[in-house]
Amino acid sequence: MKRFLRLGIYALLLAPLGLFALYAFSQRWFFPAPFPRAWDASAFLRLLHNPRLRSALGQSLLLGGAVSLLSLVLGFPAARALGTRTFRGREVVWFLFFLPTVLPPLAIGMGLNVLFLRLNLAGTLLGVVLAHLGPALPYVIFTLAGVFRRYDPNFEHQARTLGLGEARLFWRVTLPLVLPGVLVAGLFAFLISWSQYLLTLLIGSGQVITLPLLLFSTVSGGNPATIAALSLIFVAPPVLVIALTARWLDDQGAAIQEQF
Amino acid sequence: MPTLTLHALTKIYAGRRVIDSLDLEAPDRQITALLGPSGSGKSTILKMIAGLETPDGGDIRLDGSSLLGLPPQRRSAVLMFQKAYLFPFLSVGENIAFGLRARRLPKAHIRAEVRRMLELIGLPGTEKRRPASLSGGEQQRVALARALVVQPRLLLLDEPLSSLDTAVRRELQVAIRDVQRRMGITTILVTHDLDEAMAMSDRMALLLKGRVAACASPKELFQRPPCVETARFVGVTAFWEGEAAEGWLRTPFGRVRIPDEAVRGPRVYAIRPEHIRLRTAPGESALPGVVRACLYRGAYLEVQVGVGEKTVRAQLPGSEDPLPAGAQVYVHLPPEHLFPVAA
Amino acid sequence: MGGIHTMLRKHALFLSLAPALLVTGALTLSGALYGLAQSFGYLPLAGGWEFSFQAYRNLFAVREFWVALGFSLWVSAASTLLASAAALSLGLALSRRKAAGDTFILHWNLAFPHLVWAVGLLLALSQSGLLARWAAALGWIDAPAQFPVLVRDRWGLGIILHYVSKETPFLTLVVLAVLRSQAEGYQLVAQNLGASRFQRLRWVVWPQVRPALVSGALLVFAYDFGAYEVPALLGVRYPRVLAALGLEYFLDSDLHRRTEGMAVGVVLALVVLLAALGAQRFNGDEADERGARS
Repeated sequence: MKRFLRLGIYALLLAPLGLFALYAFSQRWFFPAPFPRAWDASAFLRLLHNPRLRSALGQSLLLGGAVSLLSLVLGFPAARALGTRTFRGREVVWFLFFLPTVLPPLAIGMGLNVLFLRLNLAGTLLGVVLAHLGPALPYVIFTLAGVFRRYDPNFEHQARTLGLGEARLFWRVTLPLVLPGVLVAGLFAFLISWSQYLLTLLIGSGQVITLPLLLFSTVSGGNPATIAALSLIFVAPPVLVIALTARWLDDQGAAIQEQF
Repeated sequence: MPTLTLHALTKIYAGRRVIDSLDLEAPDRQITALLGPSGSGKSTILKMIAGLETPDGGDIRLDGSSLLGLPPQRRSAVLMFQKAYLFPFLSVGENIAFGLRARRLPKAHIRAEVRRMLELIGLPGTEKRRPASLSGGEQQRVALARALVVQPRLLLLDEPLSSLDTAVRRELQVAIRDVQRRMGITTILVTHDLDEAMAMSDRMALLLKGRVAACASPKELFQRPPCVETARFVGVTAFWEGEAAEGWLRTPFGRVRIPDEAVRGPRVYAIRPEHIRLRTAPGESALPGVVRACLYRGAYLEVQVGVGEKTVRAQLPGSEDPLPAGAQVYVHLPPEHLFPVAA
Repeated sequence: MGGIHTMLRKHALFLSLAPALLVTGALTLSGALYGLAQSFGYLPLAGGWEFSFQAYRNLFAVREFWVALGFSLWVSAASTLLASAAALSLGLALSRRKAAGDTFILHWNLAFPHLVWAVGLLLALSQSGLLARWAAALGWIDAPAQFPVLVRDRWGLGIILHYVSKETPFLTLVVLAVLRSQAEGYQLVAQNLGASRFQRLRWVVWPQVRPALVSGALLVFAYDFGAYEVPALLGVRYPRVLAALGLEYFLDSDLHRRTEGMAVGVVLALVVLLAALGAQRFNGDEADERGARS
């Protein structure tokens, strides 16, 4: 029984890729036919030659990279403080970081839209990066704070008594010790930015078009093959990244969730 | 010339003087054991020497000059913890090389030193292994090599063996002692294990209530502890209070002969349990008592005898026959083994 | 040198928290507060404060708003409850065996953004979708219109289906993380003391799982309640969710309408914060109870 349950879950979760592939490579697939009569990759070829898609792909990758890097740099020291130290006002700080994880993007985005218009940040890539940091940064902080809660500072003490100075301590000891957690946190930040729709729409003001925006508009007009092909292109980087970091996710997955 | 001197060292946590104006000398090339119950601040002292904690008062001097201004990495005082803390992302060889690389020494030299240390600790050929593939004892050996390869001026051992099982611990006690002697590094060993402190150290300091209660060679401290608290810590359970005069101590249970003729006035005398003898007939220096319990402990026979409201533990040779509970005995305290302790 | 060093050390806590707090405060919170201020009549482009409840009065007067609020609550509450229940049973079923594949496949779900998942549901379940084609091929239906309306339906079933299928794996991970971190000993002790299977579930497993599951469910609820793109793809024009209403108002050229959009944003935030407060109460009580028992 359990085995069937398990197989069922596996099948359901893997099904989307098969579904998209079925549609993406189909050629003139009309209603009653259970499977496409003919197959080709024309939907992909059309998309790859489409300058709108290329630009959206580039913008999305750039945004995701910038957001994950920035949120790691900003979040690392804060996470270390939250994970290893107790201080007055810790709950308040925790709550402030917790807020963006639950506040609806619309509630934040509308105000941010007006604010960024006044600051001339609306419609710029920088503005969108900043907007994405809002939800991404807390996730990075909570993931890393969980890592640091299990972090043993004696490794650093050991290294210092062995003669390692402050400047090299971070690169030679601290970072290697928490690297899996840092990678997972960066991955989360990337995924959050990668899949962001509403904040990009509200802050990008039509100037910054990312893959989610392109996909959304394609769904309401495009043909199924194009939609499926675009979806496959959209999920390719995250699927790849998840597959590559899977062995660390198991340790860290629990860590983000125990925060709340 | 004493190498490490702690002078009036003080550390305050949450208003409590954990270390209270402590003085200690750790002589050159010797192992000084810091012994004390858990929570007595032993590890805090090591961390202050290593520079990982800042004292709230007093001074730490090495060869006459203060260490207090120096950051940990420039004190040349290497700590070894209960856990080996081998960096999991480095191989065994890279772990040993860590301190040498921190000092930016030439590669060829580092390689030779690592190999030499691996020989010294009895793990040749393990350079490429991952720390996780070693046993607990082997990991601790590598940690020792990593500490010693930088030829520190001080080696600080913070209960380095207490997570290991008895056989491995015994073996490593010898190994550490041996390597330390050969390299002549001044060492402070923190432990709560009396056996370990005695087996490994040249001098033992007993830490009680944030101060050094006694400091002497292991034999002296074990055989002739100067005060009641120290005596309790090294396993003495029977104390005899009374009025001393002309070579006798008058206790509430009878009088016993003491080694000093000249002593008079109220005194406390103590005796180690293995020096107490039990007799079936009354005699000189023998106090009447009743056997309460008898436990066969292999190496010796522990007999608990009620003397008045006191319970006296005597350790008789393991070859003796057990005594039945309730038996009438006389607790004989040989005068040559009785020694005075400060109350 | 020493001076700078001690100064850095002294303020290390502040210095390490400040950048992240500044960014979070400057972006998320100021965004939310700016929206709040505007909903009460702060219009910097039109000449400053004119404090009023007008936007809220207008908003609360239209039936459209109450329908949207009810619809959002229905969709998000139903999804959250269903996903939590599914996750609890799945977690219990999977926790017995430690299979690396399970956690991998559950994490796998992370790789699919909501948008893509919704597109997948559309392709699979719409009346001309894959399942409809297969049903036709099997002779169950003759025309697309005979296939049941599973997405873009009046009751939001497509949206609920989306949320439940997307979030059950996440919540299952939460449950599994707790179940696997808890010592098996408790269960054994309970069994040894004579607790039945159900009693063990009720007295041993549930108290351990509950706080994590409630916290996870809060995240899920908050997302489902405030999301825009999923209902936009899988829902109908009427009834629609609050976020869709708010965005439409906000993008209106009429300034008053925009203010009402901001007011919708404030309502969204308020409901989510109330839910967070409720979840915290729920878990807080649990913590107190445990403290009293031990």
